[in-house]
Amino acid sequence: MATAETLVLGLGNPLRGDDGVGPAIAAWLQKHGAPPGVDVVDDGAAGIDLVSTWAGYRRVFIVDAANMARAPGEWVRFTPDTARLENGESSGMTLHNAGLADALALGATLGLLPEHVVIYGVQPARLDWSPELSAEVQAAVPAVGYALLQDIGGQHGKDSDH
Amino acid sequence: MTTRQIDPATSVAVDVHYLTRVEGHGNIVVDVQRGELKRCELQIVETPRFFEAMLRGRPYGEAPHISSRICGICSVGHQTTSLQALEAALGVQLSEQARLLRKLIFHGEILDSHVLHVYMLVAPDFFGAGSVLPLAASHPQVVLRALRMKKAAGDLCAAIGGRHTHPIAMCVGGFTHLPAQADLEKLRARLDAMRADVDATVELFQSLTLPDFERDTEYIALRQPDEYAFIGGTITSTDGRQLPITDYREVTNEYLNPHSTAKHARHQRDAYMVGALARFNVNHDRLHPRAQAAATALGLKPTCTNPYMNSIAQVIEIVHCVEDAIAKLDALLARGIQPETLPAIEVRACEGVGACEVPRGTLYHHYRIGDDGRIAGANCIIPTGQNLANIEADMRALVPSILDRAQDEIRLALEMLVRAYDPCISCATHMLDVQFE
Repeated sequence: MATAETLVLGLGNPLRGDDGVGPAIAAWLQKHGAPPGVDVVDDGAAGIDLVSTWAGYRRVFIVDAANMARAPGEWVRFTPDTARLENGESSGMTLHNAGLADALALGATLGLLPEHVVIYGVQPARLDWSPELSAEVQAAVPAVGYALLQDIGGQHGKDSDH
Repeated sequence: MTTRQIDPATSVAVDVHYLTRVEGHGNIVVDVQRGELKRCELQIVETPRFFEAMLRGRPYGEAPHISSRICGICSVGHQTTSLQALEAALGVQLSEQARLLRKLIFHGEILDSHVLHVYMLVAPDFFGAGSVLPLAASHPQVVLRALRMKKAAGDLCAAIGGRHTHPIAMCVGGFTHLPAQADLEKLRARLDAMRADVDATVELFQSLTLPDFERDTEYIALRQPDEYAFIGGTITSTDGRQLPITDYREVTNEYLNPHSTAKHARHQRDAYMVGALARFNVNHDRLHPRAQAAATALGLKPTCTNPYMNSIAQVIEIVHCVEDAIAKLDALLARGIQPETLPAIEVRACEGVGACEVPRGTLYHHYRIGDDGRIAGANCIIPTGQNLANIEADMRALVPSILDRAQDEIRLALEMLVRAYDPCISCATHMLDVQFE
Protein backbone atom coordinates (compact mmCIF):
# COMPACT_ATOMS: atom_id res chain seq x y z
CA MET A 1 0.00 0.00 0.00
CA ALA A 2 1.23 3.47 -0.84
CA THR A 3 2.87 5.57 1.86
CA ALA A 4 3.08 8.76 -0.24
CA GLU A 5 -0.16 10.51 -1.18
CA THR A 6 0.80 11.50 -4.73
CA LEU A 7 2.01 9.30 -7.57
CA VAL A 8 3.51 10.41 -10.87
CA LEU A 9 3.47 7.63 -13.49
CA GLY A 10 5.53 7.82 -16.68
CA LEU A 11 4.12 5.38 -19.25
CA GLY A 12 5.55 4.28 -22.58
CA ASN A 13 8.24 2.31 -24.32
CA PRO A 14 11.58 4.12 -24.57
CA LEU A 15 12.54 1.94 -27.54
CA ARG A 16 9.68 3.34 -29.64
CA GLY A 17 10.84 6.86 -30.29
CA ASP A 18 8.50 9.46 -28.77
CA ASP A 19 6.52 6.78 -26.96
CA GLY A 20 9.36 7.06 -24.45
CA VAL A 21 8.28 10.55 -23.38
CA GLY A 22 6.52 9.24 -20.23
CA PRO A 23 9.61 7.49 -18.84
CA ALA A 24 11.76 10.49 -19.96
CA ILE A 25 9.62 12.91 -17.92
CA ALA A 26 9.65 10.51 -14.94
CA ALA A 27 13.46 10.48 -15.18
CA TRP A 28 13.51 14.31 -15.43
CA LEU A 29 11.44 14.56 -12.22
CA GLN A 30 13.65 12.05 -10.40
CA LYS A 31 16.72 14.05 -11.43
CA HIS A 32 15.23 17.40 -10.42
CA GLY A 33 13.89 16.02 -7.16
CA ALA A 34 10.21 15.36 -6.61
CA PRO A 35 8.66 17.05 -3.57
CA PRO A 36 8.26 15.02 -0.35
CA GLY A 37 5.23 12.77 -0.36
CA VAL A 38 5.45 12.22 -4.12
CA ASP A 39 6.45 8.90 -5.70
CA VAL A 40 7.69 9.00 -9.28
CA VAL A 41 7.49 5.70 -11.18
CA ASP A 42 8.62 4.79 -14.70
CA ASP A 43 6.01 2.06 -15.31
CA GLY A 44 7.05 1.42 -18.91
CA ALA A 45 4.51 -0.62 -20.83
CA ALA A 46 2.29 -1.36 -17.80
CA GLY A 47 -1.35 -2.19 -18.54
CA ILE A 48 -4.24 -3.25 -16.33
CA ASP A 49 -1.90 -3.43 -13.32
CA LEU A 50 -2.14 0.34 -13.12
CA VAL A 51 -5.30 -0.29 -11.04
CA SER A 52 -3.09 -1.82 -8.34
CA THR A 53 -0.20 0.57 -8.86
CA TRP A 54 -2.24 3.69 -8.03
CA ALA A 55 -4.33 2.05 -5.29
CA GLY A 56 -3.91 3.89 -2.00
CA TYR A 57 -2.76 7.18 -3.53
CA ARG A 58 -4.97 10.25 -3.26
CA ARG A 59 -3.64 11.82 -6.44
CA VAL A 60 -2.12 10.32 -9.58
CA PHE A 61 -0.51 12.23 -12.44
CA ILE A 62 -0.04 10.11 -15.58
CA VAL A 63 2.36 11.15 -18.33
CA ASP A 64 1.97 9.40 -21.67
CA ALA A 65 2.38 9.96 -25.38
CA ALA A 66 -1.05 10.82 -26.80
CA ASN A 67 -2.35 11.18 -30.31
CA MET A 68 -4.38 14.36 -30.06
CA ALA A 69 -3.97 15.68 -33.61
CA ARG A 70 -1.73 18.46 -32.33
CA ALA A 71 1.71 19.62 -33.48
CA PRO A 72 4.54 17.29 -32.37
CA GLY A 73 5.75 18.17 -28.87
CA GLU A 74 2.51 19.96 -27.89
CA TRP A 75 1.14 18.71 -24.61
CA VAL A 76 -2.24 18.82 -22.96
CA ARG A 77 -3.27 18.39 -19.33
CA PHE A 78 -6.63 16.68 -19.05
CA THR A 79 -8.73 14.53 -16.77
CA PRO A 80 -10.22 11.19 -17.88
CA ASP A 81 -13.79 12.55 -17.92
CA THR A 82 -12.88 15.42 -20.24
CA ALA A 83 -11.02 13.02 -22.54
CA ARG A 84 -14.17 10.97 -22.92
CA LEU A 85 -16.14 14.11 -23.59
CA GLU A 86 -13.71 15.24 -26.26
CA ASN A 87 -13.44 11.87 -27.93
CA GLY A 88 -16.85 10.45 -27.47
CA GLU A 89 -15.07 7.35 -26.05
CA SER A 90 -12.09 6.70 -23.87
CA SER A 91 -9.95 5.05 -26.53
CA GLY A 92 -7.72 6.92 -28.91
CA MET A 93 -6.32 9.49 -26.54
CA THR A 94 -3.13 7.76 -25.57
CA LEU A 95 -0.93 5.18 -27.20
CA HIS A 96 -1.56 2.84 -24.34
CA ASN A 97 -5.29 3.32 -24.65
CA ALA A 98 -5.93 -0.37 -24.15
CA GLY A 99 -3.94 -0.39 -20.93
CA LEU A 100 -4.61 3.04 -19.55
CA ALA A 101 -8.23 3.48 -20.70
CA ASP A 102 -9.10 -0.05 -19.52
CA ALA A 103 -7.31 0.49 -16.23
CA LEU A 104 -9.15 3.78 -15.68
CA ALA A 105 -12.51 2.19 -16.54
CA LEU A 106 -11.79 -0.88 -14.41
CA GLY A 107 -10.66 1.33 -11.52
CA ALA A 108 -13.89 3.35 -11.81
CA THR A 109 -16.06 0.17 -11.91
CA LEU A 110 -14.37 -1.35 -8.87
CA GLY A 111 -14.04 1.91 -6.92
CA LEU A 112 -10.25 1.75 -7.12
CA LEU A 113 -9.43 5.15 -8.58
CA PRO A 114 -7.54 7.85 -6.73
CA GLU A 115 -9.60 10.94 -5.89
CA HIS A 116 -7.67 13.01 -8.44
CA VAL A 117 -6.54 11.59 -11.78
CA VAL A 118 -4.72 13.95 -14.13
CA ILE A 119 -3.19 12.96 -17.49
CA TYR A 120 -0.45 14.85 -19.31
CA GLY A 121 -0.55 13.83 -22.95
CA VAL A 122 2.34 14.72 -25.24
CA GLN A 123 1.83 14.65 -29.01
CA PRO A 124 4.53 12.43 -30.57
CA ALA A 125 6.36 13.26 -33.80
CA ARG A 126 7.39 9.67 -34.55
CA LEU A 127 6.93 6.19 -33.09
CA ASP A 128 9.57 4.26 -34.93
CA TRP A 129 11.87 1.69 -33.36
CA SER A 130 14.43 4.04 -31.95
CA PRO A 131 15.68 4.68 -28.44
CA GLU A 132 15.66 8.49 -28.93
CA LEU A 133 13.00 11.18 -28.60
CA SER A 134 12.45 13.60 -31.50
CA ALA A 135 13.77 17.15 -30.98
CA GLU A 136 10.20 18.51 -30.61
CA VAL A 137 9.24 15.99 -27.93
CA GLN A 138 12.62 16.28 -26.19
CA ALA A 139 11.94 20.02 -25.88
CA ALA A 140 8.60 19.26 -24.17
CA VAL A 141 10.25 17.18 -21.41
CA PRO A 142 11.37 20.06 -19.13
CA ALA A 143 8.21 22.05 -19.97
CA VAL A 144 5.97 19.20 -18.81
CA GLY A 145 8.33 18.53 -15.88
CA TYR A 146 8.03 22.09 -14.56
CA ALA A 147 4.27 22.12 -15.20
CA LEU A 148 3.97 18.89 -13.20
CA LEU A 149 5.97 20.31 -10.30
CA GLN A 150 3.64 23.31 -10.20
CA ASP A 151 0.60 21.10 -10.53
CA ILE A 152 1.76 18.84 -7.69
CA GLY A 153 2.17 22.01 -5.62
CA GLY A 154 -1.44 22.91 -6.30
CA GLN A 155 -0.98 25.34 -9.18
CA HIS A 156 -1.88 24.75 -12.77
CA GLY A 157 -3.58 26.50 -15.63
CA LYS A 158 -6.99 25.55 -16.86
CA ASP A 159 -7.32 22.08 -18.38
CA SER A 160 -6.01 21.89 -21.92
CA ASP A 161 -4.56 25.36 -21.53
CA HIS A 162 -0.85 25.86 -20.95
CA MET B 1 -15.38 -32.88 -31.80
CA THR B 2 -17.17 -34.94 -34.40
CA THR B 3 -16.73 -34.13 -38.05
CA ARG B 4 -19.98 -33.05 -39.57
CA GLN B 5 -21.13 -33.30 -43.14
CA ILE B 6 -20.72 -29.86 -44.65
CA ASP B 7 -23.74 -28.53 -46.43
CA PRO B 8 -22.45 -27.85 -49.97
CA ALA B 9 -24.45 -24.62 -50.03
CA THR B 10 -22.78 -23.26 -46.91
CA SER B 11 -20.89 -20.01 -47.26
CA VAL B 12 -19.24 -18.34 -44.30
CA ALA B 13 -17.24 -15.18 -44.21
CA VAL B 14 -15.57 -14.23 -40.99
CA ASP B 15 -13.47 -11.12 -40.78
CA VAL B 16 -12.22 -10.16 -37.35
CA HIS B 17 -10.21 -7.05 -37.94
CA TYR B 18 -8.05 -6.41 -34.88
CA LEU B 19 -8.94 -9.26 -32.56
CA THR B 20 -9.51 -7.97 -29.04
CA ARG B 21 -8.16 -9.33 -25.77
CA VAL B 22 -4.82 -10.36 -27.22
CA GLU B 23 -1.59 -8.41 -26.92
CA GLY B 24 -1.04 -6.47 -30.15
CA HIS B 25 -2.82 -6.48 -33.51
CA GLY B 26 -3.89 -9.53 -35.56
CA ASN B 27 -6.73 -10.32 -37.96
CA ILE B 28 -8.61 -13.60 -38.45
CA VAL B 29 -9.78 -14.13 -42.02
CA VAL B 30 -11.93 -17.15 -42.89
CA ASP B 31 -13.71 -17.52 -46.22
CA VAL B 32 -15.89 -20.55 -46.96
CA GLN B 33 -17.66 -20.60 -50.31
CA ARG B 34 -20.28 -23.27 -51.08
CA GLY B 35 -18.88 -25.53 -48.39
CA GLU B 36 -15.28 -25.16 -49.51
CA LEU B 37 -12.71 -23.54 -47.26
CA LYS B 38 -11.06 -20.95 -49.52
CA ARG B 39 -9.11 -18.96 -46.99
CA CYS B 40 -8.19 -19.43 -43.34
CA GLU B 41 -5.52 -17.08 -42.10
CA LEU B 42 -4.25 -15.45 -39.00
CA GLN B 43 -2.85 -12.25 -40.42
CA ILE B 44 -0.13 -10.37 -38.66
CA VAL B 45 -0.36 -6.75 -39.65
CA GLU B 46 1.75 -4.86 -37.16
CA THR B 47 4.95 -3.43 -38.49
CA PRO B 48 7.99 -5.58 -37.83
CA ARG B 49 10.16 -4.71 -34.88
CA PHE B 50 13.83 -4.10 -35.17
CA PHE B 51 15.21 -5.20 -31.83
CA GLU B 52 17.93 -7.25 -33.40
CA ALA B 53 19.11 -4.18 -35.32
CA MET B 54 18.77 -2.02 -32.22
CA LEU B 55 21.02 -4.33 -30.22
CA ARG B 56 23.80 -4.41 -32.79
CA GLY B 57 26.77 -2.24 -31.76
CA ARG B 58 25.60 -1.89 -28.14
CA PRO B 59 27.82 -2.93 -25.21
CA TYR B 60 26.75 -6.47 -24.29
CA GLY B 61 25.65 -5.41 -20.77
CA GLU B 62 22.90 -3.21 -22.26
CA ALA B 63 21.27 -6.10 -24.12
CA PRO B 64 19.25 -7.43 -21.13
CA HIS B 65 17.85 -3.96 -20.37
CA ILE B 66 16.99 -3.18 -23.98
CA SER B 67 15.37 -6.58 -24.44
CA SER B 68 13.34 -6.22 -21.22
CA ARG B 69 11.53 -3.38 -23.00
CA ILE B 70 10.49 -5.68 -25.87
CA CYS B 71 7.40 -6.55 -23.84
CA GLY B 72 5.62 -5.09 -20.80
CA ILE B 73 4.34 -8.58 -19.90
CA CYS B 74 7.41 -10.71 -20.52
CA SER B 75 10.07 -8.25 -19.47
CA VAL B 76 11.57 -10.66 -16.92
CA GLY B 77 11.43 -13.48 -19.49
CA HIS B 78 13.24 -11.49 -22.16
CA GLN B 79 15.77 -10.23 -19.67
CA THR B 80 16.47 -13.67 -18.22
CA THR B 81 16.82 -15.21 -21.69
CA SER B 82 19.13 -12.40 -22.73
CA LEU B 83 21.27 -13.00 -19.62
CA GLN B 84 21.32 -16.75 -20.29
CA ALA B 85 22.63 -16.09 -23.80
CA LEU B 86 25.29 -13.64 -22.61
CA GLU B 87 26.40 -15.89 -19.76
CA ALA B 88 26.64 -18.87 -22.11
CA ALA B 89 28.72 -16.76 -24.51
CA LEU B 90 31.02 -15.32 -21.86
CA GLY B 91 31.34 -18.53 -19.85
CA VAL B 92 29.88 -16.97 -16.68
CA GLN B 93 28.64 -19.25 -13.89
CA LEU B 94 25.90 -18.15 -11.51
CA SER B 95 25.97 -18.69 -7.76
CA GLU B 96 23.27 -20.88 -6.20
CA GLN B 97 21.77 -17.77 -4.60
CA ALA B 98 21.57 -15.92 -7.94
CA ARG B 99 20.05 -19.03 -9.53
CA LEU B 100 17.34 -19.21 -6.85
CA LEU B 101 16.57 -15.49 -7.15
CA ARG B 102 16.28 -15.75 -10.96
CA LYS B 103 13.85 -18.67 -10.61
CA LEU B 104 11.84 -16.73 -8.05
CA ILE B 105 11.39 -13.59 -10.15
CA PHE B 106 10.63 -15.77 -13.17
CA HIS B 107 7.78 -17.45 -11.24
CA GLY B 108 6.50 -13.96 -10.39
CA GLU B 109 6.21 -13.06 -14.05
CA ILE B 110 4.60 -16.37 -15.08
CA LEU B 111 2.00 -15.82 -12.33
CA ASP B 112 1.37 -12.22 -13.35
CA SER B 113 0.98 -13.07 -17.03
CA HIS B 114 -1.15 -16.22 -16.53
CA VAL B 115 -3.52 -14.45 -14.10
CA LEU B 116 -3.91 -11.64 -16.63
CA HIS B 117 -4.68 -14.10 -19.39
CA VAL B 118 -7.04 -16.55 -17.65
CA TYR B 119 -8.99 -13.91 -15.72
CA MET B 120 -8.92 -10.72 -17.79
CA LEU B 121 -8.76 -12.12 -21.35
CA VAL B 122 -10.26 -15.64 -21.29
CA ALA B 123 -12.79 -15.65 -18.41
CA PRO B 124 -15.06 -12.95 -19.93
CA ASP B 125 -15.93 -15.41 -22.77
CA PHE B 126 -17.34 -17.86 -20.22
CA PHE B 127 -19.33 -15.28 -18.30
CA GLY B 128 -20.86 -13.92 -21.52
CA ALA B 129 -19.05 -10.67 -20.88
CA GLY B 130 -17.49 -8.80 -23.80
CA SER B 131 -14.48 -7.82 -21.73
CA VAL B 132 -13.20 -7.58 -18.21
CA LEU B 133 -15.17 -4.35 -17.64
CA PRO B 134 -18.67 -5.87 -17.67
CA LEU B 135 -17.17 -8.82 -15.76
CA ALA B 136 -15.98 -6.39 -13.08
CA ALA B 137 -19.53 -5.02 -12.86
CA SER B 138 -21.25 -8.45 -12.73
CA HIS B 139 -18.62 -10.43 -10.79
CA PRO B 140 -16.45 -7.89 -8.95
CA GLN B 141 -15.10 -10.54 -6.56
CA VAL B 142 -13.63 -12.50 -9.50
CA VAL B 143 -11.82 -9.45 -10.89
CA LEU B 144 -10.70 -8.28 -7.44
CA ARG B 145 -9.23 -11.74 -6.82
CA ALA B 146 -7.31 -11.50 -10.11
CA LEU B 147 -6.01 -8.07 -9.16
CA ARG B 148 -4.91 -9.34 -5.72
CA MET B 149 -3.02 -12.23 -7.30
CA LYS B 150 -1.42 -9.96 -9.90
CA LYS B 151 -0.39 -7.52 -7.19
CA ALA B 152 1.30 -10.25 -5.16
CA ALA B 153 3.08 -11.50 -8.31
CA GLY B 154 4.11 -7.95 -9.25
CA ASP B 155 5.40 -7.26 -5.76
CA LEU B 156 7.43 -10.47 -5.94
CA CYS B 157 9.02 -9.24 -9.20
CA ALA B 158 9.63 -5.77 -7.73
CA ALA B 159 11.25 -7.13 -4.55
CA ILE B 160 13.73 -9.28 -6.52
CA GLY B 161 14.11 -7.18 -9.69
CA GLY B 162 14.16 -3.74 -8.08
CA ARG B 163 11.20 -2.61 -10.18
CA HIS B 164 7.93 -4.21 -11.28
CA THR B 165 7.54 -3.98 -15.04
CA HIS B 166 11.10 -3.76 -16.31
CA PRO B 167 13.54 -5.12 -13.72
CA ILE B 168 16.82 -3.33 -13.13
CA ALA B 169 18.64 -5.47 -10.55
CA MET B 170 19.51 -8.44 -12.80
CA CYS B 171 22.86 -8.32 -14.58
CA VAL B 172 25.36 -10.65 -16.23
CA GLY B 173 26.64 -12.92 -13.45
CA GLY B 174 23.98 -12.15 -10.83
CA PHE B 175 22.27 -9.19 -9.20
CA THR B 176 23.31 -5.57 -8.56
CA HIS B 177 20.86 -5.40 -5.66
CA LEU B 178 19.77 -8.15 -3.28
CA PRO B 179 16.54 -8.32 -1.34
CA ALA B 180 16.73 -8.14 2.45
CA GLN B 181 15.86 -11.23 4.53
CA ALA B 182 12.81 -9.34 5.84
CA ASP B 183 11.60 -8.71 2.26
CA LEU B 184 11.73 -12.43 1.57
CA GLU B 185 9.86 -13.23 4.77
CA LYS B 186 7.12 -10.79 3.78
CA LEU B 187 6.92 -12.31 0.30
CA ARG B 188 6.61 -15.78 1.78
CA ALA B 189 3.68 -14.67 3.92
CA ARG B 190 2.04 -13.02 0.88
CA LEU B 191 2.39 -16.18 -1.23
CA ASP B 192 1.13 -18.35 1.59
CA ALA B 193 -1.94 -16.11 1.86
CA MET B 194 -2.33 -16.31 -1.94
CA ARG B 195 -3.01 -20.07 -1.73
CA ALA B 196 -6.69 -19.41 -0.96
CA ASP B 197 -7.01 -17.36 -4.17
CA VAL B 198 -5.16 -20.08 -6.09
CA ASP B 199 -7.62 -22.71 -4.81
CA ALA B 200 -10.53 -20.43 -5.77
CA THR B 201 -9.00 -20.06 -9.25
CA VAL B 202 -8.89 -23.85 -9.72
CA GLU B 203 -12.52 -24.08 -8.52
CA LEU B 204 -13.59 -21.33 -10.91
CA PHE B 205 -12.05 -23.03 -13.95
CA GLN B 206 -13.41 -26.40 -12.83
CA SER B 207 -16.87 -24.88 -13.19
CA LEU B 208 -16.29 -23.76 -16.80
CA THR B 209 -16.77 -25.98 -19.85
CA LEU B 210 -14.17 -25.40 -22.53
CA PRO B 211 -14.89 -26.07 -26.21
CA ASP B 212 -14.37 -29.68 -27.21
CA PHE B 213 -11.91 -29.72 -30.11
CA GLU B 214 -8.97 -32.05 -30.65
CA ARG B 215 -6.14 -31.79 -33.14
CA ASP B 216 -2.93 -33.67 -32.54
CA THR B 217 0.24 -31.71 -33.18
CA GLU B 218 3.86 -31.67 -32.07
CA TYR B 219 4.35 -30.09 -28.62
CA ILE B 220 7.75 -28.58 -27.84
CA ALA B 221 9.11 -27.32 -24.54
CA LEU B 222 12.36 -27.13 -22.62
CA ARG B 223 12.93 -29.99 -20.19
CA GLN B 224 15.14 -30.24 -17.10
CA PRO B 225 16.17 -33.44 -15.32
CA ASP B 226 15.12 -32.30 -11.86
CA GLU B 227 12.45 -29.63 -12.18
CA TYR B 228 9.59 -28.24 -14.27
CA ALA B 229 11.68 -26.25 -16.76
CA PHE B 230 11.36 -22.50 -17.10
CA ILE B 231 14.99 -21.35 -17.38
CA GLY B 232 17.23 -23.36 -19.72
CA GLY B 233 17.07 -27.10 -20.38
CA THR B 234 16.93 -29.36 -23.41
CA ILE B 235 14.52 -28.70 -26.28
CA THR B 236 12.11 -31.64 -26.06
CA SER B 237 9.34 -32.71 -28.43
CA THR B 238 6.38 -35.01 -27.75
CA ASP B 239 7.39 -36.59 -31.08
CA GLY B 240 10.40 -37.97 -29.23
CA ARG B 241 13.29 -35.74 -30.24
CA GLN B 242 15.66 -33.87 -27.92
CA LEU B 243 18.11 -31.13 -28.92
CA PRO B 244 20.47 -28.81 -27.08
CA ILE B 245 19.33 -25.17 -27.17
CA THR B 246 22.33 -24.28 -29.31
CA ASP B 247 20.60 -26.24 -32.12
CA TYR B 248 17.40 -24.17 -31.81
CA ARG B 249 17.40 -23.30 -35.51
CA GLU B 250 16.78 -26.96 -36.35
CA VAL B 251 13.54 -26.64 -34.37
CA THR B 252 12.29 -23.20 -35.23
CA ASN B 253 13.04 -23.24 -39.00
CA GLU B 254 11.62 -19.75 -39.40
CA TYR B 255 10.10 -19.03 -42.79
CA LEU B 256 8.36 -16.04 -44.27
CA ASN B 257 4.63 -16.07 -44.91
CA PRO B 258 3.03 -13.57 -47.32
CA HIS B 259 0.08 -12.66 -45.03
CA SER B 260 2.08 -12.18 -41.87
CA THR B 261 4.80 -9.76 -40.82
CA ALA B 262 5.87 -12.33 -38.21
CA LYS B 263 7.79 -15.36 -39.40
CA HIS B 264 6.26 -18.85 -39.03
CA ALA B 265 8.00 -21.95 -37.64
CA ARG B 266 7.88 -25.71 -38.23
CA HIS B 267 9.88 -28.65 -36.87
CA GLN B 268 9.08 -32.31 -37.63
CA ARG B 269 5.52 -31.67 -38.83
CA ASP B 270 3.94 -28.70 -40.63
CA ALA B 271 3.55 -26.85 -37.34
CA TYR B 272 4.19 -27.20 -33.61
CA MET B 273 2.84 -25.71 -30.40
CA VAL B 274 4.70 -24.04 -27.55
CA GLY B 275 3.29 -22.62 -24.31
CA ALA B 276 1.68 -23.88 -21.12
CA LEU B 277 -0.09 -26.86 -22.78
CA ALA B 278 3.11 -27.93 -24.54
CA ARG B 279 5.00 -27.64 -21.25
CA PHE B 280 2.34 -29.69 -19.49
CA ASN B 281 2.46 -32.35 -22.21
CA VAL B 282 6.26 -32.54 -22.06
CA ASN B 283 6.89 -31.97 -18.34
CA HIS B 284 3.75 -32.99 -16.38
CA ASP B 285 5.85 -35.44 -14.33
CA ARG B 286 7.91 -32.52 -13.01
CA LEU B 287 4.96 -30.51 -11.66
CA HIS B 288 4.55 -29.84 -7.96
CA PRO B 289 2.20 -32.42 -6.39
CA ARG B 290 -0.40 -29.72 -5.72
CA ALA B 291 -0.28 -28.72 -9.38
CA GLN B 292 -0.67 -32.37 -10.39
CA ALA B 293 -3.70 -32.59 -8.11
CA ALA B 294 -5.09 -29.45 -9.77
CA ALA B 295 -4.56 -31.07 -13.21
CA THR B 296 -6.58 -34.07 -12.08
CA ALA B 297 -9.30 -31.80 -10.67
CA LEU B 298 -9.38 -29.83 -13.93
CA GLY B 299 -9.45 -32.95 -16.11
CA LEU B 300 -6.14 -32.27 -17.88
CA LYS B 301 -4.20 -35.41 -18.85
CA PRO B 302 -1.10 -35.76 -21.04
CA THR B 303 -1.01 -35.78 -24.00
CA CYS B 304 -3.84 -33.26 -24.27
CA THR B 305 -4.53 -32.25 -27.89
CA ASN B 306 -7.24 -29.61 -27.25
CA PRO B 307 -5.62 -26.20 -27.77
CA TYR B 308 -8.39 -24.47 -25.76
CA MET B 309 -6.94 -26.32 -22.75
CA ASN B 310 -3.86 -24.09 -22.91
CA SER B 311 -5.69 -21.78 -20.50
CA ILE B 312 -6.28 -24.71 -18.12
CA ALA B 313 -2.59 -25.61 -18.33
CA GLN B 314 -1.90 -22.00 -17.32
CA VAL B 315 -4.12 -22.41 -14.24
CA ILE B 316 -2.10 -25.52 -13.33
CA GLU B 317 1.12 -23.55 -13.75
CA ILE B 318 -0.29 -20.86 -11.44
CA VAL B 319 -0.57 -23.55 -8.74
CA HIS B 320 2.92 -24.85 -9.53
CA CYS B 321 4.58 -21.42 -9.53
CA VAL B 322 3.07 -20.36 -6.19
CA GLU B 323 4.18 -23.63 -4.56
CA ASP B 324 7.64 -23.59 -6.14
CA ALA B 325 8.13 -19.88 -5.33
CA ILE B 326 7.39 -20.70 -1.67
CA ALA B 327 9.92 -23.56 -1.86
CA LYS B 328 12.54 -21.25 -3.39
CA LEU B 329 11.86 -18.62 -0.71
CA ASP B 330 12.29 -21.27 1.99
CA ALA B 331 15.61 -22.30 0.42
CA LEU B 332 16.81 -18.69 0.32
CA LEU B 333 15.65 -17.99 3.87
CA ALA B 334 17.37 -21.13 5.17
CA ARG B 335 20.64 -20.12 3.47
CA GLY B 336 20.36 -16.49 4.46
CA ILE B 337 20.92 -13.81 1.81
CA GLN B 338 24.70 -13.44 1.35
CA PRO B 339 26.40 -10.39 -0.19
CA GLU B 340 28.14 -11.53 -3.38
CA THR B 341 30.84 -10.19 -5.66
CA LEU B 342 29.90 -10.45 -9.31
CA PRO B 343 32.18 -12.84 -11.25
CA ALA B 344 35.00 -11.22 -13.24
CA ILE B 345 34.20 -11.23 -16.96
CA GLU B 346 36.81 -11.56 -19.66
CA VAL B 347 35.60 -9.77 -22.78
CA ARG B 348 36.39 -11.61 -26.00
CA ALA B 349 34.75 -12.44 -29.29
CA CYS B 350 32.18 -15.11 -28.44
CA GLU B 351 28.70 -16.42 -29.15
CA GLY B 352 25.89 -17.85 -27.03
CA VAL B 353 22.27 -18.98 -27.05
CA GLY B 354 19.80 -18.58 -24.19
CA ALA B 355 16.37 -20.22 -23.97
CA CYS B 356 13.55 -19.89 -21.42
CA GLU B 357 9.95 -21.01 -21.10
CA VAL B 358 8.31 -17.58 -20.88
CA PRO B 359 4.53 -17.43 -20.28
CA ARG B 360 3.65 -18.07 -23.96
CA GLY B 361 6.31 -20.67 -24.73
CA THR B 362 9.96 -21.09 -25.61
CA LEU B 363 11.90 -17.89 -26.16
CA TYR B 364 15.38 -17.90 -27.73
CA HIS B 365 17.98 -15.16 -27.69
CA HIS B 366 21.21 -15.68 -29.62
CA TYR B 367 24.06 -13.18 -29.54
CA ARG B 368 27.46 -12.79 -31.11
CA ILE B 369 29.78 -10.52 -29.14
CA GLY B 370 32.78 -8.86 -30.79
CA ASP B 371 36.23 -8.56 -29.17
CA ASP B 372 35.27 -4.96 -28.26
CA GLY B 373 32.48 -6.31 -26.03
CA ARG B 374 29.75 -5.03 -28.33
CA ILE B 375 26.87 -7.04 -29.77
CA ALA B 376 27.89 -7.99 -33.31
CA GLY B 377 24.76 -9.99 -34.10
CA ALA B 378 21.49 -10.88 -32.40
CA ASN B 379 18.53 -13.15 -33.06
CA CYS B 380 15.36 -13.34 -30.94
CA ILE B 381 12.73 -16.02 -31.61
CA ILE B 382 9.46 -15.35 -29.85
CA PRO B 383 6.91 -18.01 -28.76
CA THR B 384 3.93 -16.51 -30.60
CA GLY B 385 5.89 -16.60 -33.87
CA GLN B 386 6.43 -20.33 -33.34
CA ASN B 387 2.69 -20.87 -32.67
CA LEU B 388 1.29 -18.99 -35.69
CA ALA B 389 1.44 -21.90 -38.15
CA ASN B 390 -0.13 -24.19 -35.51
CA ILE B 391 -2.97 -21.73 -34.83
CA GLU B 392 -3.77 -21.64 -38.55
CA ALA B 393 -3.69 -25.43 -38.73
CA ASP B 394 -6.17 -25.53 -35.81
CA MET B 395 -8.39 -23.00 -37.57
CA ARG B 396 -8.38 -25.08 -40.78
CA ALA B 397 -9.39 -28.16 -38.79
CA LEU B 398 -11.98 -26.37 -36.66
CA VAL B 399 -13.90 -24.40 -39.28
CA PRO B 400 -15.29 -27.32 -41.34
CA SER B 401 -16.55 -28.98 -38.13
CA ILE B 402 -18.57 -25.97 -36.98
CA LEU B 403 -19.98 -24.72 -40.29
CA ASP B 404 -23.51 -25.64 -39.16
CA ARG B 405 -23.36 -22.99 -36.47
CA ALA B 406 -24.45 -19.37 -36.69
CA GLN B 407 -21.84 -17.03 -38.08
CA ASP B 408 -21.43 -15.25 -34.72
CA GLU B 409 -20.79 -18.58 -33.00
CA ILE B 410 -18.15 -19.52 -35.58
CA ARG B 411 -16.53 -16.19 -35.10
CA LEU B 412 -16.51 -16.55 -31.31
CA ALA B 413 -15.12 -20.11 -31.50
CA LEU B 414 -12.24 -18.85 -33.67
CA GLU B 415 -11.58 -15.83 -31.49
CA MET B 416 -11.52 -18.04 -28.39
CA LEU B 417 -9.17 -20.45 -30.15
CA VAL B 418 -6.68 -17.71 -30.98
CA ARG B 419 -7.01 -16.21 -27.50
CA ALA B 420 -6.35 -19.62 -25.91
CA TYR B 421 -2.82 -19.44 -27.29
CA ASP B 422 -2.41 -16.17 -25.35
CA PRO B 423 -0.71 -14.72 -28.42
CA CYS B 424 1.58 -11.80 -27.81
CA ILE B 425 1.18 -10.31 -31.22
CA SER B 426 3.30 -7.27 -30.46
CA CYS B 427 6.29 -9.42 -29.63
CA ALA B 428 5.86 -11.77 -32.56
CA THR B 429 7.18 -9.32 -35.07
CA HIS B 430 9.69 -9.46 -35.01
CA MET B 431 4.45 -7.80 -34.58
CA LEU B 432 0.22 -9.55 -35.12
CA ASP B 433 -3.57 -8.55 -35.32
CA VAL B 434 -6.50 -11.18 -35.90
CA GLN B 435 -9.51 -10.95 -39.00
CA PHE B 436 -12.79 -13.06 -40.22
CA GLU B 437 -13.79 -12.41 -43.82
